[in-house]
Amino acid sequence: MGYARRSICWAQPDQLTVPLPAESAVVRFPCCTLASFSALITICVAAAAEPAEPTAFFEKKIRPVLVQHCYKCHATDAKNVRGGLSLDTRAGIRRGGESGPAVVPNKVDESLLVSALRHESFEMPPDRKLPESVIADFEKWISMGAPDPREGTARVSQSGIDIEAGRKFWCFQPIANHDVPNVDAVAWPASNIDRFILRRLESERLTPAADADRRTLLRRAYFDLIGLPPTQEQINAFLQNESPEAFEQVIDELLRSPHFGERWGRHWLDVVRFAESSGGGRTLMFPEAWRYRDYVIEAFNNDLPYDSFVMQQVAGDLIETSDWQEQRRNLTATAFLLLGPTNYELQDKETLEMDIVDEQLDTMGKAFLGMTIGCARCHDHKFDPIPTHDYYAMAGILKSTQAVIHSNVSKWNEVSLPMSARDEALVEQTEMQVAAIQKDLKSLKAQLSKAGGKIGDGATSIDPESLAGTVVDDTQAEKKGTWTVSQSVGGYVGGNYIHASESTASVTFAPILPIRDKYELRITYTPSGNRSPKVPIRIHHAVGEDVVFVDQTTKGSVSRTIDSLGVYDFDPKQKPRVIISPDGAASGVVIADAVIFIPEGAAPELAVPSEAARKAMQERAALKKKLTSEIKALEEQIKQLQTTGPQREVAMAVTEMEVVGDIPVSIRGLVHNPGPVASRGVLQVALHSEAPNIDGDQSGRKQLAEWIADARNPLTARVMVNRVWYWLYGKGLVPTVDNFGATGGTPSHPELLDYLANTFMEDGWSVKKLIRRLMLARTYQLNSQPNPQASSIDLDNRLLWRMNRRRLDAESIRDSILLVGGNLDLTIGGSNIAAGTSSEYGYDFKSTRRSVYVPVFRNELPQIFATFDFADPNTQIGSRSSSTTAPQALLLMNHPLVMKQAEAAAAQLLSRQDLTTAERIHHAYEQVLGRTPNDREVEIAARFIGDEPQTARWGLLYQTLFQSLDFRYLK
Amino acid sequence: MMTSNDIRFSRRTALKSLGCGFGYLAAKALAQREAHAAIANPLLPKQPHVPPRAKRVIFIFMQGGPSHVDTFDYKSRLAKDDGELLEFDDARTLAKTKKITSHRVFKSPWRFRRYGQCGQHVSELFPHIAEHVDDLCFIKGMHTEGVAHGPSTLFLHTGSINLVRPSMGSWMLYGLGSENQNLPGFVSIQPSSGNGGPRNFGNAFLPAIYQGTPVGRAGTPATTARIENLYNDLLSPANQREHFELLRALNAEQLSRRPGDQELEAVINSYELAWRMQQHAPKTLDLSTEPAHIQQMYGIDEKGTDDFGRQCLMARRLAESGVRYIQVTYGDNSNNPRWDQHSNLPMHATHAFNTDKPVAGLLADLKQRGLLEDTLVWWGGEFGRTPYAQANGTGRDHNPDGFSVFLAGGGVKPGFSYGATDEFGHHAIKDKVHMHDLHATIMHLLGLDHERLTFRHAGRDFRLTDVHGQVIDGIFS
Repeated sequence: MGYARRSICWAQPDQLTVPLPAESAVVRFPCCTLASFSALITICVAAAAEPAEPTAFFEKKIRPVLVQHCYKCHATDAKNVRGGLSLDTRAGIRRGGESGPAVVPNKVDESLLVSALRHESFEMPPDRKLPESVIADFEKWISMGAPDPREGTARVSQSGIDIEAGRKFWCFQPIANHDVPNVDAVAWPASNIDRFILRRLESERLTPAADADRRTLLRRAYFDLIGLPPTQEQINAFLQNESPEAFEQVIDELLRSPHFGERWGRHWLDVVRFAESSGGGRTLMFPEAWRYRDYVIEAFNNDLPYDSFVMQQVAGDLIETSDWQEQRRNLTATAFLLLGPTNYELQDKETLEMDIVDEQLDTMGKAFLGMTIGCARCHDHKFDPIPTHDYYAMAGILKSTQAVIHSNVSKWNEVSLPMSARDEALVEQTEMQVAAIQKDLKSLKAQLSKAGGKIGDGATSIDPESLAGTVVDDTQAEKKGTWTVSQSVGGYVGGNYIHASESTASVTFAPILPIRDKYELRITYTPSGNRSPKVPIRIHHAVGEDVVFVDQTTKGSVSRTIDSLGVYDFDPKQKPRVIISPDGAASGVVIADAVIFIPEGAAPELAVPSEAARKAMQERAALKKKLTSEIKALEEQIKQLQTTGPQREVAMAVTEMEVVGDIPVSIRGLVHNPGPVASRGVLQVALHSEAPNIDGDQSGRKQLAEWIADARNPLTARVMVNRVWYWLYGKGLVPTVDNFGATGGTPSHPELLDYLANTFMEDGWSVKKLIRRLMLARTYQLNSQPNPQASSIDLDNRLLWRMNRRRLDAESIRDSILLVGGNLDLTIGGSNIAAGTSSEYGYDFKSTRRSVYVPVFRNELPQIFATFDFADPNTQIGSRSSSTTAPQALLLMNHPLVMKQAEAAAAQLLSRQDLTTAERIHHAYEQVLGRTPNDREVEIAARFIGDEPQTARWGLLYQTLFQSLDFRYLK
Repeated sequence: MMTSNDIRFSRRTALKSLGCGFGYLAAKALAQREAHAAIANPLLPKQPHVPPRAKRVIFIFMQGGPSHVDTFDYKSRLAKDDGELLEFDDARTLAKTKKITSHRVFKSPWRFRRYGQCGQHVSELFPHIAEHVDDLCFIKGMHTEGVAHGPSTLFLHTGSINLVRPSMGSWMLYGLGSENQNLPGFVSIQPSSGNGGPRNFGNAFLPAIYQGTPVGRAGTPATTARIENLYNDLLSPANQREHFELLRALNAEQLSRRPGDQELEAVINSYELAWRMQQHAPKTLDLSTEPAHIQQMYGIDEKGTDDFGRQCLMARRLAESGVRYIQVTYGDNSNNPRWDQHSNLPMHATHAFNTDKPVAGLLADLKQRGLLEDTLVWWGGEFGRTPYAQANGTGRDHNPDGFSVFLAGGGVKPGFSYGATDEFGHHAIKDKVHMHDLHATIMHLLGLDHERLTFRHAGRDFRLTDVHGQVIDGIFS
């Protein structure tokens, strides 16, 4: 097959600060690819010395070919020595390039040059294959020992990156203590932040905008801190509070609200690409991911110091503590490493492991350090001082961390969560009891199985326990669409059967089979004249999928209600399942009852009992009945034990690998193309002290986390304060919040950034104190009115002469609409995926809980999220996009969520008999927009409403307010 | 990171780039006008890079991997060696074990014969499409990435097996804009929600305005397929209009406090566009106005072909209305999509039957309307199938190393076949066309240079073909 192609990079340096001439073409730096001879890593080869005694065969057959076809790209004086391979010296050809020796004397098969000429490994020359005779000459020459008179040594320059020079870039400089600047308008600043901002404005001859009016300010603070609008009562309380500390009081109150963590936790979930499914082609559910979400919300609510927050997410499992609750939190936090979009279906497991490591590094780099470390997987970073070696130094740490458990479709690592000693003892006791009962149960079941798995025809109901093999009853199957439970026709398995006739209905029987084997597949149904004569049964077995049609108007091949569909190979690992659906069936009712998997050879045939056998059968039936009731009793006991008392819970979490160690650099990112080993470590350019010491038996993850969370790390605090700034102001001081490198933007106020980073750390890495400080700055409290004169100097408002107007994000839109409709469920925490969900496809997002609790599936998002630029959970996103599209308009015009909540709000409004139409309009405006309407607005609305108070009409008015500009934008 | 969807980026770039050549104010005014136009409607038609040979694409996606050796790539060797155990470097086995193993050669159960002036081989699976071979341009040396459906399907649509990248239709819309401002410019009819689902018509980091608009979804009847949120079942048309007028009035009032604010005007324009879409799109998707003989061409109201026939007819109506990129999907939402016959190859007959007449009908209908001249039709799956039996059974496994697709119409040679697989049909060997190459070629036919159509995201320029892709000019008419 083709060679793995890796992705790569067309990059260009930051344009923002470099004006380009109108006609200038975009300058591109092609950045790498694998598996072609085009990598740019420069390898210098010393000039060849005088040739020694030439060998006739080489001179005649080999050298001319090399000169003519190869030297252009593979010689010391080539413009670009491709793939680090130079073929113009003996040393060069034998040492080879990045993929290994080109020629191994006497070993044709190990000589890459030959397979490249044959177009088997590489395809060389790239334009066309050389004639067979020429290739044969090369094979002969190598067999001769590859005599080569060409002297000269191949010298290799390791890396083009100068780490020391790299440290001079602004973001790698230590965080400095800058003096707070003096300003001309001494009365204006409310804080030191304002002095930094005003100083720049004054130097550009800009004056700050006026302060925002109090309603605007309050609305801004509510959405920023808890993601919900203030109620009328809250607005009135603020307007009436004349204390100079009124706004400060609001901030403190909101910071104490449990909804603060929901709002700010969601910000963080964007940064760490949180999702509840794996995404990609075959997306798998992450049923335990919510624990991480709740951990994050709690961390923000409790104002967990940010350095600890980092430590816990990267290495929580390695933090020593005797407090079991802390242990739980620490373990849960490490889901950070596992929540990535991973293609667990990938068949090449070595590549899968490196893909996971790559994703972890990429996310960690961007989230904590603002570095695009991932670029260094295949080559030295083109723009930032990150050599490939550094990438693999950190990759070695993560490769020594257990993240994935392999099988055909692999799975993420899970860990049992610790409990209190008392609960632990109770659970252990329960587990022992259950184990003991299960032993008895096993023996009883064996006896029952021996007694036969066949129940006579015509019985009202067949006890599934009496059937041989693995039985999946309809009650255990996963149903979609409308199915009706019935007992009208006897002979079904278990308590009932089900039927459907709409093609959207389907039911999936997924057995838990012990081993891969051939199984006879049986289905049961209750035949009758009104049934479909042709029902498709889709069988997903180990080697694919078959569809078998069953005529449900007539009796089955085994008995009246049992039909055999043949023998299939089922492998428990491949999720065997049988799907029954009216989709594709001939007209008639489609019955689903039970599906039975009988290991081949173990299926005793059912026959109509003879007179003689009847008595034996009755005895056996009695025995079976006795066994069955005993089994039932024991099972009930187990259920009782398992559902009462504490439960053992699991979380997505990492652990240390049993075998840890350094890994080799993968040349061009190809895991099967190893280069020199990189000893585990961290980014050299951001090293703030001695390189961490990683012992032989540790992964090094703890050291990695400590290095990130260190006050001396030049990136960590800067990146976080910039994020918080972005979340409050809509733009970062560094505009590229995830990229502080050379391709990112530079800070508009570098001294302020450092000032904030320092105070952040002095405050014990308290995010709440940082937020408070940023919001109490006068700069935050400015209005967002346009000013053409200021715009002509600073169009993008990078200098912050006003507040940025921001579009309401998807969650705020949804939550506000539900809140106004009186239907927002404010329950806090816990899993929120509907019980019984096994796939995200077609998921019905009907929860009315706050948006942060709506399941985040990588391939299926609620429409309102997808439409209003919710962070794509497939990738790390520090700053969301903000688009304006027709689908957004359509959603607000026609989506049932919007219409229903609007009508609910209208019904509530009309229930207040005491209000006039004008008062009601005022009320609706305040509820939705946080302001009062002007006369003209009242007039337009009143005309639309008319004289009759109709709920539908008022609903449409609410809906219009949801659609309006003042709702969609935060001023 | 860039805020990639920030529509004001273009204004800034324009401003910077113009700042050198003109007086500042003139530049600013011009930039503002341009930015205004771009904000008002970024979907207006754009100038292509090279002269286009086609204006739009209809991609007929055969989900699951139809077998090339049972349809268009005739291999006599399969009949000759049928039942022989031979060594093949099977893609799946190779990925899992790095080993080469023996497999049973499996001849096609269907007979082939030559059709048309060009003498193209077609099996009896596609009697209707076979009648059009003189209009078709086969590419028989296709190869692609990935071995499983998920990765390969994503690769087909986005040029990446795992990373999140914009889909091909989004790139096209970004590069070319749309010819009809009352309809979405990129429509995916009944897309599968499996194997990457919405990512296959997603915009990824391109501005959201370029995302594909789904019409219905796989697994539901085509008769119920519609664009979400386009219909308001709760309001009469008169009430809708009245409601819309209220919105106009209230928004105008709000805007009056910020006159000339382009971002807010863009929001107002988005409502106007939505309103127009609401008036036009339902009519475009309403097949009831089509005469009976046209419906018959597509196999509508016939058993088996009705559903896909409707999809194909919708595609023609959208093409006729100037939609830039249209995809129809013959698929479902499972992990083993329709054409995925691992163990039961004869099921191919059902899928061929269901799609043969609709596709042939679409080709004939486009041709008779002159639409085939500037519409590029592309038929194909995410990969082909092996020429040997899977696990010595009665089906074929995935084969990303050699398979066939066909193109027709806008700028490709009719009655032509390009490239070849080996004598078994296992690997592409002659004039190989990688999926990246096919992407580059289709973009070229629409007038886009795949190396120039880039988008800046996360510090670098991205393109559909990454650093790969060669335009196959050998198929140009």
